[in-house]
Amino acid sequence: MTDQASILIIDENHVRAAIIQEGLREAGHVHVRWLNETANLLKHIVDIDPDIIVIDLESPNRDVLEQMFQVSRLVRRPIAMFVDQSDSASIRDAMLAGVSAYVVDGLKKERVKHILDMCVQRFQVFSRLEEELHEAKTALADRKVIERAKGILMTAKSLSEQDAYAMMRKAAMDQKRRLAEIARAIVMAEGMLK
Amino acid sequence: MKTVKVGFIPLIDAAIPIAAVECGFAEREGIQIELVRETSWANIRDKLIHDLFDASHMLAPLAVTTSLGLGNARVPLAVPFGLNANGNCITLSARLYRAMEEVLGHPPLDVRQSAQALKRVIDKRKASGEPPITFGVVFPFSVHAIIVRHWLRLGGIDPHNDVQFLVVPPPFMVANLSEGVIEGCCVGEPWNSRAVESGVGSIVVFGAEISRCAPDKVLALRDEMAAKEPEMVDRLLRAYRTAARWCQNRENHANLAHMLAQPQYINVAPKTVLNALSGMLAVNRTEGRSMPDFLRFEGDEINRPDPRKARWLYAEIANGLRQNLNTSQAEAAACVFRPDLFDTATGNNALPESQDPIGLKFGPAFDSNNLQGYIDALRG
Repeated sequence: MTDQASILIIDENHVRAAIIQEGLREAGHVHVRWLNETANLLKHIVDIDPDIIVIDLESPNRDVLEQMFQVSRLVRRPIAMFVDQSDSASIRDAMLAGVSAYVVDGLKKERVKHILDMCVQRFQVFSRLEEELHEAKTALADRKVIERAKGILMTAKSLSEQDAYAMMRKAAMDQKRRLAEIARAIVMAEGMLK
Repeated sequence: MKTVKVGFIPLIDAAIPIAAVECGFAEREGIQIELVRETSWANIRDKLIHDLFDASHMLAPLAVTTSLGLGNARVPLAVPFGLNANGNCITLSARLYRAMEEVLGHPPLDVRQSAQALKRVIDKRKASGEPPITFGVVFPFSVHAIIVRHWLRLGGIDPHNDVQFLVVPPPFMVANLSEGVIEGCCVGEPWNSRAVESGVGSIVVFGAEISRCAPDKVLALRDEMAAKEPEMVDRLLRAYRTAARWCQNRENHANLAHMLAQPQYINVAPKTVLNALSGMLAVNRTEGRSMPDFLRFEGDEINRPDPRKARWLYAEIANGLRQNLNTSQAEAAACVFRPDLFDTATGNNALPESQDPIGLKFGPAFDSNNLQGYIDALRG
């Protein structure tokens, strides 16, 4: 089933915008456009004349969109914020996910809700990916520093690899700190004592 | 200890909530403030009304429009504390400023002369069929837009027909001036100084030259929260009052500048913050200006929310929207400002001394009992 509503995504994050576009297209929305160029934003919106605008909350440009409510002559059709204010749970979910939406008047509520739910879900997917990436990067950095600290201990105290590791483990447990923190302290101390 | 989640926009007028945390004033009152930095006033409003914030730094007119449903939401808010008076400037593009110097034969000497020079430039451009001048303001409902309109009227310029307004978030103001999307703007610091430093613009008006104490930013809560958590509100207001006094004291300005300049707050050079705090700004490449009242944080005229100020905001907002005044809306606006909450928390029992809560330095006098007369006089 295809949906003819035209959707405009305003997001400077290319990866996230791609993830949202893909989700909307998979759900049958054929008219999806993405704006990453935010100069002259109102003019672009007037030219594109979307039914629905999806914008990320990190963008200061949300305040530019607010002007559309006051200056209706700027846009051909009146635009209101997503759903009626009584649906606070939906709005909260969207805001927690980091997204907001503006909708032209007269669009069916269920249709809009479906689209926003999709965007919220995709924003969450993106956040999870970002988190995973961050965790992977941290884990890699931790492993490197632990290896280095182990090497330092082995040389300085003529320990086997296993004993050096056990020594750091014990220090971490005694001080209730992460192993990587202990390793970082060792590497730093070695740098200063050189 | 009770935690209060408070939203803020990285601006110098967020000084009071930041100092309340950093100097331990909140903790001393038995509350913990968790500050959350935001990127837009729309986010601030939505997170406040949907319960993701307990309180927030907010544009004073936005608190009124949100309560009245004149913008994009309708939720009753309460304003128990004013955070500052003034601190904004009107900055014009280098090209427009040069055109004004040309018609005068010298740089404008004061705000009236600059507005009159602008009027002559606008007339010339109209005659030669050039497009109208666009002013950037930070939000549709802001004291910034009101200040620009007052200044334009001073030169005989019709703010509704002779110029256009465009909302531009402060971080994009300098780029928009430089690219010619806007030719003038009204914004707080550090953005005017940025325009001057980069040779893109000249500061022509300090907000304090237009009014003595028009409300700029306020502390806003949901009305329902103010009723439900009186103890929390009392503690918060006492912490803010102490912070306001601390922020106003010149001896603390060097400390305050370093505090606000930190990456988690405004993230600029401490010197830039200090210039705004002391009211000493470079207004163009060669000249500096000093105005001790450039930005004020403290005084009952500023901190105690005077309902007459809310009535003024309503009249200005309705005028900006070209709507007729409505008595019940004016009353509803007045009820948003809550001196009762301020008085209870701080033990204040003095009524404001000033006859005129806004202190406009030009144009019609403001009488809070005669909004229609004020608007008629503005429309002249």
